[in-house]
Amino acid sequence: MEGMEIQTLSRTRRLLLLYCSFFRITALVVGGGLAMLPVIEEIFVVKHKLLTREELLDMTALTQTVPGIIAINSAVYIGMKIGGVPGALAAAAGAVTPPFTVILIIASLFPRLDPKNRYLLGVFSGIRACVTGMILVTGCRMFRRTVKSGLECAVVLVFFVLAVMKVSPALLILVAIPFGWCYVWWQTRRLTQAEQAADGGKNPEASSEPSAETSVDPDKDGGRGK
Amino acid sequence: MNHCIVLFFQFCKFSVLCFGGGYMLIPLLTAEFVDREQVLTMSEFGNLLSVAQVTPGPVGLNTATYVGYVNAGFFGSLAASLGLVVPTILIGCSAAAGINRWKDTFLVKGMLKGTRLAAVALIMFAVTIFLGMSVFTRTIPWEALGALFKFELPVIPDDFRVSPAGVLICGVTIVLMLKTKLPTTALLLGSAAAGALLAAWF
Repeated sequence: MEGMEIQTLSRTRRLLLLYCSFFRITALVVGGGLAMLPVIEEIFVVKHKLLTREELLDMTALTQTVPGIIAINSAVYIGMKIGGVPGALAAAAGAVTPPFTVILIIASLFPRLDPKNRYLLGVFSGIRACVTGMILVTGCRMFRRTVKSGLECAVVLVFFVLAVMKVSPALLILVAIPFGWCYVWWQTRRLTQAEQAADGGKNPEASSEPSAETSVDPDKDGGRGK
Repeated sequence: MNHCIVLFFQFCKFSVLCFGGGYMLIPLLTAEFVDREQVLTMSEFGNLLSVAQVTPGPVGLNTATYVGYVNAGFFGSLAASLGLVVPTILIGCSAAAGINRWKDTFLVKGMLKGTRLAAVALIMFAVTIFLGMSVFTRTIPWEALGALFKFELPVIPDDFRVSPAGVLICGVTIVLMLKTKLPTTALLLGSAAAGALLAAWF
């Protein structure tokens, strides 16, 4: 614990700052996920200068790469960067506390959420319709960003049909990982073959693909990860 | 108590499998709690997600807390929330520092490609789940579609209808999201009000 030296804030102040900032972020930001990004930037980059803008951008790409909820991922990785493992714990605890308390209060008020009141039903169906639209837009944006060829489109379709046929989503994701390895292997092999055939001919389309994928423009998916 | 331990591990599983944001939890949660364990009905799940969506905080965490509570009360909520957080912290502490160095390796690239394609498909599947609770009056009858492939006449259930209010609100939301930069909070509150008004109307 004593091994790490702190430049500007003392260790406890830093942990407290992490806890309180993430508490504030999840307590106030409706939607979570990437909607948190501007607030994180304001607190940690502009105000306290504990992160650079580039570090935050790296972090954003990272939080979308590793599995897990984007909000918790951001808390854990920013916490790690600023305060090591205790920092990650403090930030995660801060992020979890407000939704946990608020939802617990609501849940204990209406445990089964099966309203009989006509207007309350109307409110719920209104929100559900809105959420449908939001997920649809998010899904289409993701589709455009991710799917780069007809073959990939076919793969998405196959996964979709399997999901409709009640194949467990967990199984689908687990199958997708080895499939991804085979696919990338096949793609690189085809690429090298094409290069050999064209005698080192240029193939800008394929080489730009990975970087476009990993550094996701935060502006483009403001609607994502709600 | 046993129930809470099961919940904790279930949510650990969801957290590890959740590539691509909180919406990915929808198909995972419905498969587990609506289809398999049947502790929630689809419409209860829809209402629960509506509450999770309008209350502040990340939707994934809100939903986890709620589902945990419905399953096993206070400790269920605690187990579910911890289940989402613990794997992230473990992955973060072990791999996070190095993952930017690893991101161009074959293993990480392949995993990302595969899981992203699956994530897109599963989010589209989540859309169909939600269509059945908003634009249509019940879950989409996929069996009828299957019958069409066998050259039989599809049997569409009587209660499967289009809900005009749902179409209207969903359509307006899509247009507003694409054409304006309105915050999602405004969209959600507007839709809630529109839903109540339309309920009074019809």
